[in-house]
Amino acid sequence: MKRSELLSRILITVAVLATVGTPLFIWARTPLIHAKIAEDGGWNPDIIKVNVGEPLHLKLTSDDVVHGFAVGQMDMQSVDVLPGKVTDITLTFDRPGIYTFFCTRWCGLNHWRMRGTIEVTGASDSPIPAEPALGEVERVPMYVTLGLDIDAPHEAPVIPSSQPSASSGRKLAANLPIDRSTDYYRANSPYQVFGELSNTSMTDSQRWDVAAYLWQSNTTAESLANGQQLYAQNCAACHGENGAGDGVFADDLAAAGESSTQTMTGADNMTMQTPVDFTDPTRMLGASPALLQGKILRGGMGTGMPMWGSIFTEEQIWDLIAYLYSFQFNYQGVTQ
Amino acid sequence: MELTRNPFIKNALKSRYPQLAVFIVMLVGYVFAILAGLIGTPVGSHNFSIVFVWIAWWAILILVAVPFFGRGWCAVCPIPLPGEWLQRGAVLTPPDKKPKWLNLRWPKALRNIWLQNISFLLLALFSSVLLTTPNITAIVLAAMLFAAIGLSTIFERRSFCRYLCPVGGFIGLYSQTAPIELRIKEKQVCVTCDGKPCYNGSANGYGCPWDVFPGGLTKNTYCGLCMECIRTCPHDNIAINLRPFSADLSKPSTRMDEAFKAFIMFGSAMIYAGVLLGPWGALKDAAYNVGTSAWFMYVIIFLGMIFIILPGLFSFSLSLSPNPSPAGRGVGVRVFASLATALLPLGLMFWVAFSLSFVLTNATYIFVSLSDPLGLGWNLFGTANTAWQPMLTSILAPAQTLALVGGLIWSARTAQKAAGEVKVSSIPVIIYCFIATLAMLWLLL
Amino acid sequence: MAFAPFPVRPVTPQERTFRIEAGQFSYTPSELSVNPGDTITIELVSTDVVHGLYVDGYDISVEADPGQTATLTFLADKPGSFRFRCNVTCGAMHPFMIGKLSVGQNEWFYRSIGLSIIATIGSIGYLMFPRLLPLITAH
Repeated sequence: MKRSELLSRILITVAVLATVGTPLFIWARTPLIHAKIAEDGGWNPDIIKVNVGEPLHLKLTSDDVVHGFAVGQMDMQSVDVLPGKVTDITLTFDRPGIYTFFCTRWCGLNHWRMRGTIEVTGASDSPIPAEPALGEVERVPMYVTLGLDIDAPHEAPVIPSSQPSASSGRKLAANLPIDRSTDYYRANSPYQVFGELSNTSMTDSQRWDVAAYLWQSNTTAESLANGQQLYAQNCAACHGENGAGDGVFADDLAAAGESSTQTMTGADNMTMQTPVDFTDPTRMLGASPALLQGKILRGGMGTGMPMWGSIFTEEQIWDLIAYLYSFQFNYQGVTQ
Repeated sequence: MELTRNPFIKNALKSRYPQLAVFIVMLVGYVFAILAGLIGTPVGSHNFSIVFVWIAWWAILILVAVPFFGRGWCAVCPIPLPGEWLQRGAVLTPPDKKPKWLNLRWPKALRNIWLQNISFLLLALFSSVLLTTPNITAIVLAAMLFAAIGLSTIFERRSFCRYLCPVGGFIGLYSQTAPIELRIKEKQVCVTCDGKPCYNGSANGYGCPWDVFPGGLTKNTYCGLCMECIRTCPHDNIAINLRPFSADLSKPSTRMDEAFKAFIMFGSAMIYAGVLLGPWGALKDAAYNVGTSAWFMYVIIFLGMIFIILPGLFSFSLSLSPNPSPAGRGVGVRVFASLATALLPLGLMFWVAFSLSFVLTNATYIFVSLSDPLGLGWNLFGTANTAWQPMLTSILAPAQTLALVGGLIWSARTAQKAAGEVKVSSIPVIIYCFIATLAMLWLLL
Repeated sequence: MAFAPFPVRPVTPQERTFRIEAGQFSYTPSELSVNPGDTITIELVSTDVVHGLYVDGYDISVEADPGQTATLTFLADKPGSFRFRCNVTCGAMHPFMIGKLSVGQNEWFYRSIGLSIIATIGSIGYLMFPRLLPLITAH
């Protein structure tokens, strides 16, 4: 064989092998966390393990559409996970426990099912003193201590004829001996407050105004803004941007309900799948903040309503609830 | 003008090494595209295989290579190389007299481009998936490579390129419009040439891989510009010439396989312009959701358009000719096929106009995937974060109009020459081209 | 014909609002028609995943998450026909998620038709010329 022929063959073989080998080698050593819509498998891997105090480096990429990444109950800015791009993020966990990471950008009807867990174990040789594990410090939710059945109907038998105004309620409440504590507000529905004021000389509409004031005085502009933001990012796609239960996925949920083979029976099942209308006074004015907290924490158990317990902090849930009542009450003209 | 007069060009073509160097780069790129399609991100617009095959390569092919260099792409295409090297048992050394493999002649019934028409249509019907799914693109690229290897071991020469390659068919047809050609210098030299080494091979090189006797070349269609005959010709009788555009079209083809190839390309450019670039979501869904009833409808419409509506209207317009051709089936076929040649320049310009829009819109993806070809977060050239941005949008519409109206004039001239050959009127064909141009203008502008 | 000034119908500029639903891989409605000088507001509603809307020629864009309607307001001061397209990768057919905005009549399209007509007549005339020539010179 001529030398030129031999050299050509060697050159071609080496070039092709290097073209295949080098990228394959680097690829195999780059562990990526792939994001796909839940229908196609969600996060992969969806279980990540790390020790307390050790920095966790993650490389996130999306295989289809825009996703986001955040860890529940953690003080962190969510990051976008973009198709074909790699997002680097480093996390450090101070407390052991099982954390939930989740998609933060709506990616379809089952967006909220796109979750995974980070198992943080306390390393015995960790120089950081062990802190109490996640969950151990949390209080028992209020709906449990109050013994509320959060699946029971909670309709207000009476509703106001016009939107209750917190500003007029404030003037009326000035001389009333009502309980303004946070615990009282959380444990009672606006209708219950309306009922307790029945022994006063106020008109129905005035009594609703007082309830509106009570609700308004238990929140702040800051909390409402925070709640509004949480609502827009997490709730509006189903419950509607104006709370009317007519979000872009409402029809899809109804269709999913119809075709669903879940155990609940026929017509009930379908209504269960429809997102709640927060502008409906019968439903909202009969619900206490504690009851709503329970629903948000636990989720709808198969109805399409996610459970948010492992994601939102307690404060975030109260902010969100305060915002939900603003679909019922007029908070205008009141300054904190 | 004979380019091979220039000693630099001539030596570069006569030597095997410049071509080999290009071949190796192309082969490496091709193999990498397959790899990227398989292990890279499944997001098409960010995967090297999709971006480099369907945006970069396609742009170069349809906007530069075919219009200006004819089969220039075939001259550097890596697909037949492994099979050819295997067939020859060598990369550079001229072959032994004894063939190493089966070395069969290609079946006579298939000595046409119908298989290429079918292979192109197969890809075309799945194109929405192929164009957007990296691993499908990778599988198709690999399949072509292996098909070429397989055919090389069974049949002689480059049967894959000549008879099966899905893009080879239209490149060949449109290469007739290109201003470059490989031809012999003196006919008499070939007639008296002993042993015809350009076809049979010699110590200096291989016999024509495209199964063409250069002495008989009158059109570019089946000459792959592989340059072997320049190396084997003992009389220095092969030239690469610069010539006027579309010189081959004044001798229209009378073959039905080529005529239908013209309709396939003409029709699919229009369908793509409507489906991919139009504002109709239902069409895109139908084209993408392979296997659904909507997709079958799309297939029926696609094939009906190409095989029935477009050729049917064409025949109809021919029958309106003021001086109809003499009766007889053979004559009708000849007239039909000859005048279908007139669709070639306009068809090419349809593809240019369609591709301009697609390529200019998505060209920024090239920079992104160049820096991060596997979607692993690399930034090799610092362009990984280039934002998506359509390019040159302000000149797009004028450029498309220029291409289409230019194509119309070019086709009208071609129709007049073809009509002159078969003695019919060219006016119906010109009107046909005019209406098709209006449709394309409406779809694109 | 292809170069003659176009008749311009004077129209009073209006404010127009369009609600466009974006879903994989189309816009509803996908064709908008306005007059030059109008102020356009597009309310983009994504119905499945995050989508964007980029207007060719105007080089402006907006991005909307499902549940968070986004608005894009601009002055339609450039006449002509423009594609608008998704600029947030939204799945396989994303590069082909396209709509069409017409600002006034599509002047360029009509001019191109004019050019095509001239080209056709010119081509046919070119062929006829040798036959017509003796007739002309006879007079």
